[in-house]
Amino acid sequence: MYGHWDDYGALQMPLIFEAACAAIIAVAAGSPFGEPERATGRWLPYLRLGTAVTLTGLAAGALAAAGTGLPLAGGFPDILRNVAGLTGIGLLCATVLGAPLAWTGPLTYLVAGMYGLYTDWHPPALGTPWLWPARPPHDVGGALCAAAVFAAGLAAITLRGARERRGGDGPG
Amino acid sequence: MNVEITDLTRRFGRNLAVAGVSLETGPGVFGLLGPNGAGKTTLLRMMATVIPPSSGRLRLLGRDPGAYGPRREVRRRLGYLPQNLGYYPGFTVAEFVEYFALLKEMPAAQVPAAVATAVERVDLGGRARTKLRTLSGGMLRRVGIAQAIVNEPELLLLDEPTAGLDPEQRVHFRALLRDLGQRATVVVSTHLVEDVGAACSQVALMDQGKIVFHGTPAELTARGTERGTGDAPLERGYTAVLAAARS
Amino acid sequence: MTAATAPAAPRPAPTGRSARRGAAAAALGSGRLLRLELRRNAMLWLLPVVFALFWYNGYREIMALPPMWNLRAMSLQNRLLFDLAVPVTAAAAWMGSREGRRGIADLVAGTARPRWSRQLAGWAATTAWAEAGCLACVAVVYLMTARQASWGGPPWWPAVVSAAGVPMLTAIGFAAGAWFPGRFVTPLATVVVFFGLAFGTQAASGDHSYWQISPLTAGAVDIGAAPGVATFYRYLPDLSIAQVMFTAGLTVAVLGALGISAARMRWLAVVITAVGLTAAGTAVALAGTGRFDPHGMIVIPALHNAASDQPVRYTPACSHTPIPVCVHPAFATFLPAMTAAVGPELTEFAGLPGAPARISQVTAVYRQVSGNGITVSGGGTSAAAFVVPDQVPGWLGTTGGEFAAQLDEGMGIQLASDMILGGDGQQSASGPGQAQLAVIAGSVRFPSSVESRDLAPLYGRLLPQPGIPADRAARRFAALSPAARHAWLAGHLGCGARCTGTGTTTARSRCR
Repeated sequence: MYGHWDDYGALQMPLIFEAACAAIIAVAAGSPFGEPERATGRWLPYLRLGTAVTLTGLAAGALAAAGTGLPLAGGFPDILRNVAGLTGIGLLCATVLGAPLAWTGPLTYLVAGMYGLYTDWHPPALGTPWLWPARPPHDVGGALCAAAVFAAGLAAITLRGARERRGGDGPG
Repeated sequence: MNVEITDLTRRFGRNLAVAGVSLETGPGVFGLLGPNGAGKTTLLRMMATVIPPSSGRLRLLGRDPGAYGPRREVRRRLGYLPQNLGYYPGFTVAEFVEYFALLKEMPAAQVPAAVATAVERVDLGGRARTKLRTLSGGMLRRVGIAQAIVNEPELLLLDEPTAGLDPEQRVHFRALLRDLGQRATVVVSTHLVEDVGAACSQVALMDQGKIVFHGTPAELTARGTERGTGDAPLERGYTAVLAAARS
Repeated sequence: MTAATAPAAPRPAPTGRSARRGAAAAALGSGRLLRLELRRNAMLWLLPVVFALFWYNGYREIMALPPMWNLRAMSLQNRLLFDLAVPVTAAAAWMGSREGRRGIADLVAGTARPRWSRQLAGWAATTAWAEAGCLACVAVVYLMTARQASWGGPPWWPAVVSAAGVPMLTAIGFAAGAWFPGRFVTPLATVVVFFGLAFGTQAASGDHSYWQISPLTAGAVDIGAAPGVATFYRYLPDLSIAQVMFTAGLTVAVLGALGISAARMRWLAVVITAVGLTAAGTAVALAGTGRFDPHGMIVIPALHNAASDQPVRYTPACSHTPIPVCVHPAFATFLPAMTAAVGPELTEFAGLPGAPARISQVTAVYRQVSGNGITVSGGGTSAAAFVVPDQVPGWLGTTGGEFAAQLDEGMGIQLASDMILGGDGQQSASGPGQAQLAVIAGSVRFPSSVESRDLAPLYGRLLPQPGIPADRAARRFAALSPAARHAWLAGHLGCGARCTGTGTTTARSRCR
């Protein structure tokens, strides 16, 4: 994982950590208070937004700090793009499925992203910018797609919050 | 006697939740009253063999639940409804009750009929195939009662069984309790003194981990003439006993 | 609520016969419990995710491979668990944490069925659905390959290893959920397992690497799924057996550890866990004794059956060309491409003195060299034998043109050199002359892959450099039709030591 940026194995490993952070942020979007919190005032959306943005920034910073001093494949732009995009997917899942199941999106996307990286070295490459982990770190298209998904996730979680259902979410 | 407790204690760290409780009871409905934090739930959990006592002697249905074999036998004959009822939202009413019938190791051939009977007895026969996540709080409570009685237990432990039930359902539930008490020992922990008065033949009052009163509802009511406060005679007896215990 | 009318019947004390009936009833009860768990299992909801991931990642890539059993089966093993790991581990962790998440722990703790038994029912149901998904993916790939492959049958070991890996994933996920029933355990357990699988594939290197125990590793890690592997010789199950031992041992160990906290069964749980860990550890140690065999597979001496070393009998598939080219039937799909690539040479040399009666594919010989590299050789020095390049069309993106170029470089140059030089170029201290090199170069029509003009592996010489007379002659020769080149060679080509005939001065001496 410390190899040159075009070593695909060195890009796949960090993606796993990035997806883990995104999944945790998405699960954390769930409120521990339930319905009483929804009956509060106008600060709740700002609280949700601030929490999501802060946790995303902390995650990206922590991952970058963990690679300090090392020739980390992909660099900080890669970390920020991936964490933001994956978190956006997780927040959207939290809105639709509920916080306990919000990890499904980021972790499913992780597998697709790993495969996308693999195809960069085993053509034909999956070149779509919507599979941004497979794009070079400074690729504009990938960054825009990740940013768009992050923005959508933030908007959804800010306005609607994580879905809550009686008895919790999911089977079992 | 189905329940024989001698100097039973339970400690959580430095907190002595149950501080030397002794009581005996046989078939019938036994009410357990007390304020919040008195130790009722902890006592019930020990009787349900969920947690072991820190010290003291406990015999249930003539067996010592401290040993594995007798404890398993007790659990086959036990029904327990905790205060906070968890459930699997995706299960239907019948599936949830069946699940616990199987966990109680009921003979498989008897399970379908037992489940149907238990669900009918709590008036949820028409909702047997309904998912639990769609039920109201009161209905969920009735599902909890159903799983507790599915195996026709000889010892039935109910912690706040009427929480969330509407008045009509509470009336029916008391009738069920009286019926069950004819064959089994039913221990009901509740804050609702009217439930105790309507269904229990004996009542114990706990405070700060100890039993401060053990007798009949009539005897508890009689204690209310001393210094009790409350709207009903049993309530006055309840408050009078607590006041005396704390003075 | 309604009151019951009949009192409960007293329970009889168990006798011997009733004890047996009791055991049967207990089994029936366990069956009902399992049925209930199967109906309400989270894995059922994630099966669509399983199929979607497999279709997106594994299936399309596997189906793009040439229709050879060895290629597709080994690639299936490389990919399937990777695609299953996330949904399967997550579903298992979700089910394992169910009691804690739903606050039902107290309620189930007061029931008679041992916790271990209760948890096993939940795990078994999760594993059953996950296994069904895995086997469905295997079935689709194998059925499609059965319709397309030209020879052979499915190697079952890759499927067995993948299937054996599923209980390992569910056991780890379930145990993590049961021990740490929080809302973050599901994603964390899933990521840890996925990382372990991914890291294992990255770390494995060389034939005696312990990391090749990973169930994602099919065959030798430095080759992987290659067309020449497990074709002429059986698919060696040595590494697969070790992998199954590892996954099964880990599964047993984790499930045993679930029972350790239950006081009564603690000793049994410890024994089971120890047995499982021993099996897994032994498997890892066995993987470390692996060695690369000449047929491209891993041999583990302690697990090896010498009977597996016998070649597989087959009837070759031959072309109807002037010099027939015969290949192993598994490669029959490529025969048209092969004969198209070297067809001109076959026409050119057919019937000439010293021309082979037929050219037959022989097995490649794989050898591990320093730095974990692999060399592929074979075919000897005779033009009658050749090795089909591993880079067949469709394998790792190889195009038809690249395949043809490799054939020209291998079979084409071998045939042309053998015919022109008759083997003399190798024995001669001076090597082939410029004229001979020109004819060879013209015969193979300067294939692009030979722009380096490198005949060094054969003769230590290069094809004629651009601009020199020999190069110009070669290009004129190459411009002729195969029939014209045949006619020229018939008139000019001496037979050398191969002739049984006349001793006529050969064109070879004139060419020099």
